[in-house]
Amino acid sequence: MFNRKALMFGYSNTTKFLAENLTKELHYLVIIVDDEESYQEAKKAGYRVKLLDITDDNALEELDVAEDDYLICVMKDHYINVFLTLSLHALFPKTTIIALSDSYHATQKLKMAGATRIIDLYQVSANRIHNILTKPVATKLIERLFSPEEEFSFKEILIPKNSILDAVMVDDFDFSKHGIILVGMIDKRLSKQFIFITSGLENRFDVGDTLVCIGYNDDLNKFEEYIKGKEDES
Amino acid sequence: MLKELLIQYAFFLHGSKRYKNIKTTAYNFLLNSDYEYKKYFDIFMISLIVVSIAILVYEVKNPVPYWVDFFDIYLVTVIFLMEYIARVWVHNDWHKQVVKEVGEAEFLNRKVSLWRPSKETLKGKIRYLLTPTAIIDLLAILPAYRPLRVLRIFVLFRVFKLLRYTKSINQFLGVLASKKFELFTLLFLLVFITVTAGIAIYVFEQNENENIESIFDALYWALITISTVGYGDISPVTPEGRVVSMMIIVSGIAMISFVTSVIVSSFSEKLDELKENRIVEELNKKDEFMIICGYGQMTRMFLRYYAKEYTNRYIVIENDKDKVDEAIKEGYKAIHEDASRHDVIKRFNLQYSNITLLALTGNDIANIYITLNAKSLSRKIKVIARARTEKMIKKYQLAGADSIVRPNVIADRMLYTAITQPVMYKAIYAILTGKNMALLDEINLSQSELLVGKKIEELELKKQKLLCIGLQRAGEEGEFIFNPPVETTLEEGDILLVMGRKVSIEYFRSIYTKVKYV
Repeated sequence: MFNRKALMFGYSNTTKFLAENLTKELHYLVIIVDDEESYQEAKKAGYRVKLLDITDDNALEELDVAEDDYLICVMKDHYINVFLTLSLHALFPKTTIIALSDSYHATQKLKMAGATRIIDLYQVSANRIHNILTKPVATKLIERLFSPEEEFSFKEILIPKNSILDAVMVDDFDFSKHGIILVGMIDKRLSKQFIFITSGLENRFDVGDTLVCIGYNDDLNKFEEYIKGKEDES
Repeated sequence: MLKELLIQYAFFLHGSKRYKNIKTTAYNFLLNSDYEYKKYFDIFMISLIVVSIAILVYEVKNPVPYWVDFFDIYLVTVIFLMEYIARVWVHNDWHKQVVKEVGEAEFLNRKVSLWRPSKETLKGKIRYLLTPTAIIDLLAILPAYRPLRVLRIFVLFRVFKLLRYTKSINQFLGVLASKKFELFTLLFLLVFITVTAGIAIYVFEQNENENIESIFDALYWALITISTVGYGDISPVTPEGRVVSMMIIVSGIAMISFVTSVIVSSFSEKLDELKENRIVEELNKKDEFMIICGYGQMTRMFLRYYAKEYTNRYIVIENDKDKVDEAIKEGYKAIHEDASRHDVIKRFNLQYSNITLLALTGNDIANIYITLNAKSLSRKIKVIARARTEKMIKKYQLAGADSIVRPNVIADRMLYTAITQPVMYKAIYAILTGKNMALLDEINLSQSELLVGKKIEELELKKQKLLCIGLQRAGEEGEFIFNPPVETTLEEGDILLVMGRKVSIEYFRSIYTKVKYV
């Protein structure tokens, strides 16, 4: 569980999906709506909810937002969504803002408004269609990796203190022995950018680096446990 | 005995794949406008016609070398003759009629008659021979007969023969045919005014005007005047004749305006249809293309990112004219039709092309209907449909959709990943959008004999900075092996899933596959 808060603006099917799934991951999640009907509905569904005028900067300013929190803009009205993103970016410039868009033009506007990540409803679907057409096997695999019911998935693994991976060169470690594939990592020493393992850089694992691996869930969990101990690789 | 032999021969033809292939190829070249190579045949024939006309026209006043005559008589004419015979041949099948007759005779317990199927076949061929195009084809062969110079006038039929191969002239005639009623009415009016004016001028001027000696002169004058050509060889000399002249000049101008407006309006009415037909015909010549139904946000987004990859291999079908205009304005190929209609999808080359249909309208009912419509016409069509709600998935599956895309679900999962696993989100996003750094691609072993029989470890993927993610075994029921062990042996038809930079994958393909990576 992360020690972070998420403030979600708007109440829709997307909000419900996120609220249901994020409750397990985040220690605090609040849905913020601007109409009484949604407020009552969300409250009835058992979510933590706040009613406020989201076009009012003073009301937004009073929200308790820290730099490492998430502001999620999923308002049904995309004019308001863009306006809200702009307001939030002006008020909390260092906080991550994730917004949902439903058109190319809205995506451009959200980018300009300061959204950190934009998920374009139709762009992701367009990519999916293109992938189905050109790479059906790869697409099926990606779908399976996304599906919570599948036995294999992606996983972010942080290299902890005293890990056996500390100071080991990437090429010197055999991931296949553990049944997993290392896709990429964030090397804290070099930059905060994600580096694909296929990019050809000669990296070294250090404490604090984040690895992104694919594998069977059991193998991933075992591997996460395995790298915690500072012992020889068996 | 002969009858038995003929029946056996008919059955032999009926069962012969080779004969069928030859006839289908001939049919494709001669008549199938969707056939990819027909245009080359048409260009060849047009070139022959143009050259032969040039020879015949030049020959009128100038002697031509022997080899030119030889070329015209023996080559051009023989090709025309062969084409003529081939067209008669492909028009219908005698053996099919015989097989049908034998089947019916057995069923009705009567004697097999060869006369009946032969008569039917002959009737069909004669019907074809009497069509204007067949007559033109026959007459176009005649100018080659040198002893009768009068036959050279039939060179005109070689010009007419061009009509067969030039679609635009045919389309022009088609547009005129659609306004048959209006044009005939105007023609009748023209004849009426010409005859009336001709009679009037004849009555008024027959004795006064030395140029009008007969009713034919009078009618000739009337036609030349009404058409506003006015050669001036005959002109009225009496005041009555001049009044008639003035009246028919005015009528003539009105008539020309009418005819022009009728043709222009019919063209503007038909222009969109002609353009759309052209797009469909072009598409039908492709081995593989895509029909996108609906021009909503999803189609817009798909085309914005991928239209270039599918250039000339897609068409948007939308039943809202404003949206069609919008798509065309954006530079996309779109037609104004209803994709849920049987005849609309039937226009596409369902038999020979691999068609993928994207049902992307914003309405589940419409998408399901479109899916059913396409699948009822051909199970071969691959359908990718967009579903709005979870409840609809089952219905799409029952309708036969091959893949179902739910934009909201995908976006929700992406949002969730972006929040919970931000590092991984970047990786997944890059993989999903096919970024150069992390392309997840498929190596199809049916295109690479060099890979078959090799073990994964022998491919030295690590050295080439590639990751082997999975292996799909051949066949529809083939097993998918995630993260396959390095000692796995690759088999014919397998698909290897690799991840890496685009350049690494291209290099790998260049070593092992016959197909150049595009």
